[in-house]
Amino acid sequence: MSAPRTDLLQGTLDLLILKALALEELHGMGISRRIAQITNGAFEVKPGSLFPALHRMEEAGWLSASWGEAETNRRAKFYKLTRLGRRQLDAETAQWERISLAMASALRAT
Amino acid sequence: MPFRRLKNLCRNILRKQRADHDLDQEIHSYLDLLAEEKTRSGMTRDEALAQARRELGSVEQIKENVRDIRMGVSMDNLLQDVRYGLRVLKRNPGFAATAILTLALGIGATTAIFSVVDAIVFKPLPFPNAARLVRIRSVVAAAGAGGGVASYPDFLDLRARNHVFEGMAAVHTNDFTLIGPREPLHILGAVVSAQLFSMLGVSPALGRSFLPAEDSPAAAGGANPVILSGGLWQRQFGSDPAVLGRGIHLGDQMFTVVGVMPPAFQYPIQAEPVELWTTIALDLRGGVNAVAAQRGAHYLDVAGVLKPGVEIRQAQSELAAIAANLNREHPDNKARTVRIVPEIQSLIGPIRDPLLVLLGAVGCVLLIVCVNVANLLLARATGRRKEMAVRAALGAGRLRAARQLFTESVSLGLLGGALGLAMAFASLRLLVRLIPAQVPRLDAIGLDGRVLAFAFLISFAAGILFGLAPALRVSGISLTASLRESGRGAGSGGREHSRVRNMLVVSEVALAVVLLLGSSLLLQSFRHLTQADPGFNRSHVLTFQLDSPAGRADARIPAFYRDVVARIGLLPGVQSSSAVASLPLTGENFLLSVEAEGQPTPMASRPSVDFNAIEPNYFRTLGIALAAGRDFTERDDSKSTPVVIVNRAFAARFFPSQNPIGKHVRPGIGGGAGEPPMREIVGVSGDVKQSDPGSAAAPEIYAPLAQVRLDPVYIVARTANDPRSIIAPARREVAALDRTAPIYHTETLDQYFAESVAAPRFVTLLLTGFAGLALLLASVGIYGVISYIAAQRTHEIGIRLALGARKGEILRMVIAKGLAPALAGLAIGVAAALRLTRLLSSLLYGVSPTDTVTFAAVSLILMGVALLACYIPARRAAKTDPMISLRYE
Repeated sequence: MSAPRTDLLQGTLDLLILKALALEELHGMGISRRIAQITNGAFEVKPGSLFPALHRMEEAGWLSASWGEAETNRRAKFYKLTRLGRRQLDAETAQWERISLAMASALRAT
Repeated sequence: MPFRRLKNLCRNILRKQRADHDLDQEIHSYLDLLAEEKTRSGMTRDEALAQARRELGSVEQIKENVRDIRMGVSMDNLLQDVRYGLRVLKRNPGFAATAILTLALGIGATTAIFSVVDAIVFKPLPFPNAARLVRIRSVVAAAGAGGGVASYPDFLDLRARNHVFEGMAAVHTNDFTLIGPREPLHILGAVVSAQLFSMLGVSPALGRSFLPAEDSPAAAGGANPVILSGGLWQRQFGSDPAVLGRGIHLGDQMFTVVGVMPPAFQYPIQAEPVELWTTIALDLRGGVNAVAAQRGAHYLDVAGVLKPGVEIRQAQSELAAIAANLNREHPDNKARTVRIVPEIQSLIGPIRDPLLVLLGAVGCVLLIVCVNVANLLLARATGRRKEMAVRAALGAGRLRAARQLFTESVSLGLLGGALGLAMAFASLRLLVRLIPAQVPRLDAIGLDGRVLAFAFLISFAAGILFGLAPALRVSGISLTASLRESGRGAGSGGREHSRVRNMLVVSEVALAVVLLLGSSLLLQSFRHLTQADPGFNRSHVLTFQLDSPAGRADARIPAFYRDVVARIGLLPGVQSSSAVASLPLTGENFLLSVEAEGQPTPMASRPSVDFNAIEPNYFRTLGIALAAGRDFTERDDSKSTPVVIVNRAFAARFFPSQNPIGKHVRPGIGGGAGEPPMREIVGVSGDVKQSDPGSAAAPEIYAPLAQVRLDPVYIVARTANDPRSIIAPARREVAALDRTAPIYHTETLDQYFAESVAAPRFVTLLLTGFAGLALLLASVGIYGVISYIAAQRTHEIGIRLALGARKGEILRMVIAKGLAPALAGLAIGVAAALRLTRLLSSLLYGVSPTDTVTFAAVSLILMGVALLACYIPARRAAKTDPMISLRYE
């Protein structure tokens, strides 16, 4: 039952999920496809880490879930950002930008 | 968001099935969508589905992960584990009952002892300032010890000159006779300095505390102020609030009631309750001759409350400096210094160590219990290896498996704890009755919140502890190996398994050895204590105390005592009667400085010896041998030559190899302002163990009560039959002489003796019980392990027998297996005991803490028990029929 080791990754995954849902609500498959698309295929999120993350974020109140119709009339669970989730997205985006800026300048330094 | 978490947790637990179903659907819809995507890219439906399944991985694993996250703290797993654990226990009622009963025994005993130790030792005293409350003991500097009591002038100087105490009060208990409309009543009271109550931070329930000015007799006018205890107020004054301001007669003096304390208040805290308090003004009457006016009269206990933030060490050095100055200012007095100890320590000093030893001992028993239960669990864990392996194969993580085992063991622990708590509750009253009655704070013993919390904690900790071995083993199980082992109960794991079990045996034997050694030493000590010759014959002697009667002039009181002794002596069945100031075994003694003829010594450096005052026939009544000279007679009175009788120890110390008869000594009593008078030695008595039977005989001087007035006295009477049968007639005789002199403390010398050995008896009894329990548990443990090992090797033994091994060889082989860890445990236990029994040395009398004979005897006993515990299963193994054992499995 070893929990996925995602200390750094978890933050990344959360941010990616929040970002993926920023435009519209999506079901699990949709989220993983959207992430692949917006990261140019750099991240492929496996269901083994996706579902625990989604449920954790729902517990945290960032996402809300409801059952709906998918493309081919299949029932699927759709996730969308809550107000809290949108705020979290803004906060994490700002945080990420600070980190990436700092990392970039650190790596440029000689 | 703790609230949301809680809400979710509730939802997840309550609507678990729906949430599960939901999750299942969600994952399946994901699978479908994935497969659909793949069919769109040209795969066949079946191919796509198979591929999607592969990508998804283990559905159960994902669900498990999601569930874990959903639960936050995994409450659900816990409940599931508990349910499962209880089911497992229900399936194995024999195992469960054994484990729970053993645990209940260990936890119950530990909880009961803890509740006693907590109430007496750990709980703070019931005063707001308890944490800063200390005892200030005044001791003779040269001896470094002594009564610890101070004189009133010394106390006043210590209080006035220090900067570290918020308050300081002097206290001594005193006997009073309440003269009222009913029978005169003997009452134990305390004479205190007025500041006591405000210093302790307490105030009366009714009326007022003492005023500072009431410490001096002038302020009190004719009547000293008195504060009553809640109990006395209820019993004697019918809880009448109008008692305030009323005058009461205590003996022949008038007192004015100014207050009533709350019923729970007690100070000083002691077994015999104090019923009233008055001020030190009582001791200051009589001007320069009053006891409280003399710097040399050390009789007061001093308590103080430190200023906030002041350490004891700081206060100690400051008061020691003040005491040193006092020594310089008053060179005539023996140099004294002070020792400051926390009040609680001075209160429970002598019983503290024995109680802590018992707590340690019962803790050892609990550890042995844990070891035995761990053994049981291990045996069962072997049987469950396949179950665990299957669970692991189905996706249960190792952590989860270990957690399952821990849940089971903790559930066991808590069940055992609950039963143990019930046992503790049931046995507590019996236990309290075993504790010597002189121990303070006995009434505070009970099962309160602290004890419940303790019981819960040790039950939980025990569960973790004995669950450790099996859980560690199971979490390290190799999946494939366990599954492959299939039917074979005993395999490669067996060897490692028995190593763990051997270690358990080693540790429990070691613990049992320590307890056995400790209890054997105490038992021997107790035997010495009770069989030691105290120097007198304690059977068939009744004693009682007598207050000096009200209204009689001081000079006539000795005559009154003599009348009482004579009347008691005439009662039918009484063979001899007398009176004495300090009765042996009561712990009361009176130390006086002494100077022997021909050995002039300045006052300040004279040695102190026990001093006692008696009526004629005292030695005959108590059966004390008179070694030389004569007993006192009725003619030795205040008008005749001052005389004394000394004991052998005194003669040996002060007149070695001389005839002491006719020599003179100068005990520091009498004679008014000048040097006390020389007194002629007229007799030498046998040595008497005055304070406790365990101590060595000390030098002692006896003077006639008619020449030296000491109050109060004990009347003693030797009877032909049951001494208690003369209590009622004695009471009548005394009342006929003077009805204002009630008799009290009617006890036989045998009773005093029982009280004097009550503490060692209590500790010895309990420790022996614990040691016996430990021995039993350890032998059961050895037996269990050997039976298990023998059973595991049935196959091997069968082969050996088939190949021609003799039964004796098999017997030896199996016994050796079990004896090895037992011997290792014995060695470790003895080594540990050599260090630990030193802690007992203060409790031991007449036996060394490392007594060789005891150590050898205990080692032999333990080896014998271990041998027996091994022999039974070994013989069973040796009797194996090779045909059956080879077919076994």
